[in-house]
Amino acid sequence: MGKRKKQAAKEEVIDLSKAEEILDNYEGVQGALIPVLQKIQYEYGYLQEETINLVAERMNISASEIIGVATFYSQFRLEPRGVHIVKVCCGTACHVKGATKITKEFANKLNVAVGSTTEDNMFTLEEVACLGACSLAPIITLDGNVHGNMAPDGVGNIIQETGKHGSSK
Amino acid sequence: MINLKIDNKVVSVPKGTNIFKAAKDNGIYIPGLCYHPKLTQYGGCRLCMVEVTERGRSRHRFSCAQPVAEGMVVKTKTPETEKYTKSVMEYLLAHHPLDCPTCDKSGECGLQEVTHDLKLKPGRFKSARLDEPMRRDNPLLEYNSNRCILCSRCVKVCKEIAGVAAIDYQNRGFKTVIGTAFDKPLDCSFCGGCVSVCPTGSWQDRTLKFKARPWELKKTPTICTYCAVGCSLVINTKDKEVMRVTADENINLGINESNLCVKGKFGHEFINSDKRIKTPLIKKGGKLRPASWEDALEHISNRFREIIEKSGGNAIGGIGSEKCTNEDNYLFQKLCRTVLGTNNVDNISNMKSPSLNRLINNSVAYGMASTSLEGIENADTVFFVGADISEAHPVVGSMVRKAIRVNKTKVIIANVRNVEFGCETKNLLRLNYKLGTQTTLINAMMKVIVDEKLVNLKKAADKTENFNELLSSLRSSELGIKKVSKATNIPEDSINAAATSIAKAGNCYVICGKDIEEDPSGEETIEALMNLCALVNKGDSDKVSIVFSRENNNSQGVNDMGVVPEFLPGYLDINDPENREVVEGAWGAKLSSDPLEQKSGDIFDRAVKKKIKALYVMGENPIVNYPNGKKVKDAFKKAEFIVVQDSFLTETAQLADVVLPSSTFVEKGGTFTNMVMTVQRLHKAIPQVGDSKPDWQIICALAEKMGHEYHYTTSKDIVDEIGKGVPIYEGIEVNRLRRKGFHWILSLYYKTKAERYQFEITSKKTSAIKSNKKYPFILLTGSSLRHQGTYSRYSESLVSLASECFVEINRKDAKKAKITDGDNVKIESAQGNIKLNVKTTSRVPEGVAFISEDYEWVPVNNLRGDGYTNVKISKTK
Repeated sequence: MGKRKKQAAKEEVIDLSKAEEILDNYEGVQGALIPVLQKIQYEYGYLQEETINLVAERMNISASEIIGVATFYSQFRLEPRGVHIVKVCCGTACHVKGATKITKEFANKLNVAVGSTTEDNMFTLEEVACLGACSLAPIITLDGNVHGNMAPDGVGNIIQETGKHGSSK
Repeated sequence: MINLKIDNKVVSVPKGTNIFKAAKDNGIYIPGLCYHPKLTQYGGCRLCMVEVTERGRSRHRFSCAQPVAEGMVVKTKTPETEKYTKSVMEYLLAHHPLDCPTCDKSGECGLQEVTHDLKLKPGRFKSARLDEPMRRDNPLLEYNSNRCILCSRCVKVCKEIAGVAAIDYQNRGFKTVIGTAFDKPLDCSFCGGCVSVCPTGSWQDRTLKFKARPWELKKTPTICTYCAVGCSLVINTKDKEVMRVTADENINLGINESNLCVKGKFGHEFINSDKRIKTPLIKKGGKLRPASWEDALEHISNRFREIIEKSGGNAIGGIGSEKCTNEDNYLFQKLCRTVLGTNNVDNISNMKSPSLNRLINNSVAYGMASTSLEGIENADTVFFVGADISEAHPVVGSMVRKAIRVNKTKVIIANVRNVEFGCETKNLLRLNYKLGTQTTLINAMMKVIVDEKLVNLKKAADKTENFNELLSSLRSSELGIKKVSKATNIPEDSINAAATSIAKAGNCYVICGKDIEEDPSGEETIEALMNLCALVNKGDSDKVSIVFSRENNNSQGVNDMGVVPEFLPGYLDINDPENREVVEGAWGAKLSSDPLEQKSGDIFDRAVKKKIKALYVMGENPIVNYPNGKKVKDAFKKAEFIVVQDSFLTETAQLADVVLPSSTFVEKGGTFTNMVMTVQRLHKAIPQVGDSKPDWQIICALAEKMGHEYHYTTSKDIVDEIGKGVPIYEGIEVNRLRRKGFHWILSLYYKTKAERYQFEITSKKTSAIKSNKKYPFILLTGSSLRHQGTYSRYSESLVSLASECFVEINRKDAKKAKITDGDNVKIESAQGNIKLNVKTTSRVPEGVAFISEDYEWVPVNNLRGDGYTNVKISKTK
């Protein structure tokens, strides 16, 4: 079922007009690849093959070079991200206070590996080095909202709460 | 020059050189794997650490990244550098598979050499060997990421030399590999540059796989047999068989700086193909059967004698070869003109564009013809007119890219199609004109130059004749920039920018391609182009050079050698009694006294009219290569006797009464002349395959059979005779051709002063393009990167890489006709039809169908008549 859904999503025709617009703004600008990729990622959520090929054609840079840049910087994503993004801090303080257990709990509850997205495209689970709020350890952020002093029991709650609010971001 | 001391040796090198190169050029060894003299510096392998002392301070520097400075003292081997280099190697080898016994690179591997030179012992690190699968997604190249040290040489060669950038680093850190976007199969020009520069066994030539080890290979330098650039190749042989082709590693051989294209690098398998003809063949009972040389030559000489007795020598037509050597062609026309007594000798390039020889000779006489292709790297502007350089002459493309890199050269490409050329956008200006408006475009550019006074008009008028006529012709209202912009479909700004760029360039190269040369209105366009060159030519140090691109390796030589009806060798007019006397004296034989029939078409026209009864074809396949397929087939049908000399049983050879097996370019000595008239020498790499013989030996044997003595023991004897008898080749010496070519234009320029340029004003003829409702497309043909004639057809690797010829049409046209990419279509013209698969593209303009004519098994000439061909395209059911 999940697989079929993914395939259906792949066959979807991507509207390239926004990417075209972005590229129009950078017409003839030297060294504009990274800002263009950033803007495209902001619009589309991630860098699809179609948009990269378009950038390659319009900017006269080969697709391989663009992928080279996109895979070098961790800010660029070549896979779609979920609607909600869970970042679990695994810095020293959080680690000591059991961040691994939190991560595991999220992974179990959402049935997803760290760094990837659930099949229904709702959640992406990521680990980050330090969020800089060690007094609240262990800490996570969900769509930018901080949840401190986490315990594995609270994970299910948070997921449910977020799920209720639907897919609006 | 900068003076410095490296390891107590005083060296003097040009400013800007890095220490690594300075040391290497002076015989001092520094280990290093990422630096390559023809690529930009990267500094990634960290091996070339040296100690540099400047103004009393000693520091450690990477020698490939450090330019030399006056008074520098460099030590390449100190305890510190040694310790450092060794530990870097330890890291590099920590995850290298060390599978040298099964690696084809073993024996010429940079990593292996450095390991050996540093006398490394097993490292301190626990090795983490990678076990990624080998990437084999194409028939020619494979990539093994486990062996890769990420030196970036292949990435750079692909971008800077080939202009493709098909590969780049993917990911980062320990996971970094070299790869393509989205892991797609490699889709590049397959020049093999990555294999040549790879310092490890990561990139491999799949055609060599496990066939030979590097130390078993005998290396013979020679000249490539495909296009007219004339690259130097190194033929690697083992047991009389060609195993692979490499380029010269020290990049000092030939003109190509060790760059090759896919045909030069991988198109060698035809040499040892089992499809080669190995014995002479005589047609008996409608079938070609093997025969001895004696019988075959006897048969030919008898039949030729009969025909000469019955209808005179002029009833025999000889077709020389654009692929054979100068010596072969020289003897061929000598045989035809003296032994057979005919002036009906010609070659296909001359038949395709009969005015080209005259125009090229004019450009030489006016001192505008380019003397070397390498000179392109000093150009400020390169103007391609109707030249599809990436497909036809890929190595010239590499030279232009080098020019861009070192000189920031501006490249202007004028073409009907949006031809491919890989370089950064800021250096490129495209003028995609509408078919038929090329002359108008060039005249409009001249008008811009004159109106804006971009050159000193008074000086130009002083140096040339007919200048006022040119000015008045440019005043024509047809050349108003608005009107031209509309007619040609090029923005006004682009025309202005191109004109300015050409006029302001200190050193400008104009490269005229075959799309112009073979166009029905080509003569007029080339005259306009030469006018443009003369207008902007400032003379002395600032100059314009024009290059007329030729198609095959010796298309220039075959014309130089007089395999044209109206010229004796060296473009001596055959109708001039003085020339005849000199040549007759030198050859000791009478030339055919029959007056040359002017304006009666070429050899095939006359064969169709049954004026020519026998055809003698050397190393050509006119049935497929001659543009008008119907005419040439008719000619061969009507001919009573046909002799073909070739290495393969081509379509033409199949029609022959006698087929003589000839040797390929690696089996003989001789010379080729490239498109800028550089004469370069071939070296024999393997003995003759089967019973085949070099063409010149066959000709000698035939001459002897017909009662003429030809005293040549080696091809050198023929070169000597050419050097004495052919004025433009005067002074050529075989032994001096060993390392360097002989530039006949250059030696001509030394001897004679350039003539004053005379502007040719051609009134605009009516456009030769006729629209036809029944046949809505105009057919254009052109070169292909991956194929060229008979040789590539029998090179299995090239065929497996490019097994299919497509017809290219514009996406919009395809949409209208409801044709999608990959559909099989029938292309019909008034003359005939062929079926091909479609490739929809935006490179071809609307209303045009493009088919490459270099896939020899696709008879494109079935469709073509004389002039432009109108075709229609319909889907097959």
